[in-house]
Amino acid sequence: MKGKKLKIGIYELTGCAGDALMILNCEKELPAIFQAVDIQSFLMAKSDNIDDELDVALVEGSVTTEKEVEELKDIRKRSKIVVALGLCATVGGIQARFQDPQKWQENFRQVYGETKMELPAVVSKPIDAYIKVDFYLPGCPISKEQFLNFFTRVVKGAPPESYPQPVCVSCKYKENDCLLKNGLFCLGPLTADGCGAVCPSHNLPCVGCWGPVQGGNWTSEFYLLQDKGFSREFIKKKMANFAGTKLSEFWKQFDRRD
Amino acid sequence: MKIVKLKKSNLHPFLQAASQDAELWAPVRQKNNKHSFQPIKDFATIDLNYTRTILPPRKLFLPPQFNMFQASLQGYKEDFSHVSPKVIFGVHPCDLHGLLIFDEFHRQNFEDPYYLKAKENTLIFGHSCWPDDKCFCQSTNTHLVEEGYDLFFSELDDYYLVWIGSSRGDDCLRLAPELFDESLSEEDIKGYIAWQEKRNQAFKLKINFFAMPDLMELRYHHSLWEKLGQACLSCGSCSLVCPTCNCYNVQDQPLLSQDASNIQRCWDSCMLENYSAVAGGENFREKRSQRLKLWYTHKLQAYISKYGKPACVGCGRCIATCPVDINVFTVSRALEGEEVEAFWNRLAKEVNP
Amino acid sequence: MKVEKKTTLTKNPFLPDPARIVRVYPLTQDVKFFQVRLVDINKALAFQYHPGQFAMISILGAGEAPFSISSTPSRPGLLEFCIRKTGTITGAIFNLKENDLIGVRGPYGNGFPIEKMLGKDILIVMGGLGAAPLRSVLLYCLDNRDQFGRVILLHGAKCPAEMIFCQEFQDLKKREDLECYLTVDTDDTGQWEDNIGVVTTLFPKLKAINPEQTVSLVCGPPVMYKFVIQELLKLQIPKDQILMTLERRMKCGVGKCGHCAIDYIYTCLDGPVFTYWDVIHMRELI
Repeated sequence: MKGKKLKIGIYELTGCAGDALMILNCEKELPAIFQAVDIQSFLMAKSDNIDDELDVALVEGSVTTEKEVEELKDIRKRSKIVVALGLCATVGGIQARFQDPQKWQENFRQVYGETKMELPAVVSKPIDAYIKVDFYLPGCPISKEQFLNFFTRVVKGAPPESYPQPVCVSCKYKENDCLLKNGLFCLGPLTADGCGAVCPSHNLPCVGCWGPVQGGNWTSEFYLLQDKGFSREFIKKKMANFAGTKLSEFWKQFDRRD
Repeated sequence: MKIVKLKKSNLHPFLQAASQDAELWAPVRQKNNKHSFQPIKDFATIDLNYTRTILPPRKLFLPPQFNMFQASLQGYKEDFSHVSPKVIFGVHPCDLHGLLIFDEFHRQNFEDPYYLKAKENTLIFGHSCWPDDKCFCQSTNTHLVEEGYDLFFSELDDYYLVWIGSSRGDDCLRLAPELFDESLSEEDIKGYIAWQEKRNQAFKLKINFFAMPDLMELRYHHSLWEKLGQACLSCGSCSLVCPTCNCYNVQDQPLLSQDASNIQRCWDSCMLENYSAVAGGENFREKRSQRLKLWYTHKLQAYISKYGKPACVGCGRCIATCPVDINVFTVSRALEGEEVEAFWNRLAKEVNP
Repeated sequence: MKVEKKTTLTKNPFLPDPARIVRVYPLTQDVKFFQVRLVDINKALAFQYHPGQFAMISILGAGEAPFSISSTPSRPGLLEFCIRKTGTITGAIFNLKENDLIGVRGPYGNGFPIEKMLGKDILIVMGGLGAAPLRSVLLYCLDNRDQFGRVILLHGAKCPAEMIFCQEFQDLKKREDLECYLTVDTDDTGQWEDNIGVVTTLFPKLKAINPEQTVSLVCGPPVMYKFVIQELLKLQIPKDQILMTLERRMKCGVGKCGHCAIDYIYTCLDGPVFTYWDVIHMRELI
């Protein structure tokens, strides 16, 4: 690489840290990654972290405490490019499925009782609820291949243009029979591609763990699943699992129709 | 055309001889009882009792994803690693017609070397078939073939009539001439004619293709398209499984530790939201209905106007694939003004009663 | 079996030729002018094109996209492009400097039907970046001035700073064999000496047009077409003598990738230049 190395920071908010782990799991490529960029901060991988000006910040996890809101805003201030890494950062993750503040309070009390929290909690949200996000790299966890391709493009100064496609495209590349057509509860058409249709390739329907694909037709699939005999409650629950806050508008419209 | 006879018991020995220096591909039963063209190691896995494979055989010429070349500041290095000698056995007439259209497309204007090299390295052995409730190749006039294969196997009782379609096909027979019988009896001929007649009666699905260009034009602004757009999941399956679709995307995939990139080509679909989007945000087909119109214009109208035959070969894959019943059959019926039993129609009634 | 791996001798139409950026400078805040030359000098001289054709430009690590050629074939050897920064690829092009390498392949598309334009009056209407393809034909007409009748240029931009080739066109105003009218929607400088208003406000200034004798060439933002065409129809210019050049997504330029399809037409092969008559009877064109 010519010129100065890009300064990179990898941060983890609330989540399972699976995305950061997936980066470390690129064992073969790690030397090249560390050679190509200057990793300033990566809590999972190194100790002498510096939180200074950055070219690119990769942020994993959703925002669930007030402290994280401050951390996130600080990261944004220090970074030229912010990338939402993984499903939690992109849509809020499974922990963002209940958006109704009252219901959230109830759930919170149920789990923690009256315990006084050291870090005041807030309703779980994706990072773009608080800051501007330049790029999204969804996945639960992210895929190695997708990450390396994206990362390399960023390092070379030309992040890829987004060309949203559903899991079905990879699913057909793999020549799988359509599970939805066969009456299974498959969320492939509503889910962003990137996993390479790994579940349908093993005859398991897509659960949506890459989050909603841009342009997904939720209304049609909702009625289709109902047409196939699934109950409205069941469909809602399953659809909400990995859609985080990105479906709030859809649910509002939907509930109005109900 | 020369026609010879092959006993069924001689099929595997012949395939063995024909694929000595090439990879043999043939239909294999996969999960859910669906079929797929797969490389054959064990002849016993070949399943000729199939109607359609999930993907058409064009995947063997231009696979879903492959690298076209490696680019660097020093220059460009072509990559033809997707090409290897192949024998494809068991291709049905509709798919042979699909390959013919595919072939013509990649030769016209600018020749596509990635297709041409793969084609030159492939022998195509066709095979007769029996229609199911989704086949309508009789309507597209693609139920019979006269070209587009090296050999064609018509299956009758305990033997095949083998049509020799090319000089290379003829060379193949000469690899094991003792397996073939050059003389056909009157009985063989009668048997074939009877089979042919019976097959002609077996088609259940019929579409009046030659009415479609006019109907597409007349109903271009019909509410039907909004109904279809309301239901379409934009999953791209219809086009990805279509034997005559060819759209692709190109991606520059840089290598981390070199100043070089792999230029990758992958199947695309005109059903995807950004298919017609240009830099700067303009999207010429933002609505699903607009994208559906493009596909159906292509399948039902444009090609007929230009070549006198539809760009549909009646394979029934869109019927077998689309989760919301948008396919050449339901759409053509709806264009004729009929009330169609399909999910997209039920959805329209549900959503706007 | 004789299915050996064979080699075909056809040229690979997807392989670009390396080209060097000879000159680059900004035209407006987000449009830059690039002058490039194919590294292989024989190829550079053999690169023959018509005004209105386009080339595919590739940037290592970013990708490839189509761009109109802004130079004229009457000045061979160098290719010129005006590129607006809109996405990843154009963003990457913007970072390039003189002497950097890019990939170029082409020329592609039909281009303007020069033979049919010979001896005719040429009325060029451009708005914004529409000047990119039309500058080629304008310079071509001026370089072969005796082969055309009147040459009229109407050029509009949002404001003086947004006018690409502003100086070049200002200089052209001095030519007596060109009727050149410039306009800006709004003048935020107070220094603009030409017309103020959208491009259609220039039409009343034109000297009488002989419609049968006139070929009009239009390119600009989508919103401009509707109003400009109304004016041209008012002047009674025949619909098949109104030519427009269109933009579409393209991944190949050679009629294979499908993205630029309209009916059975491929913009990259049958376009990007269409007549207004094509536009009327082919839906989806604009």
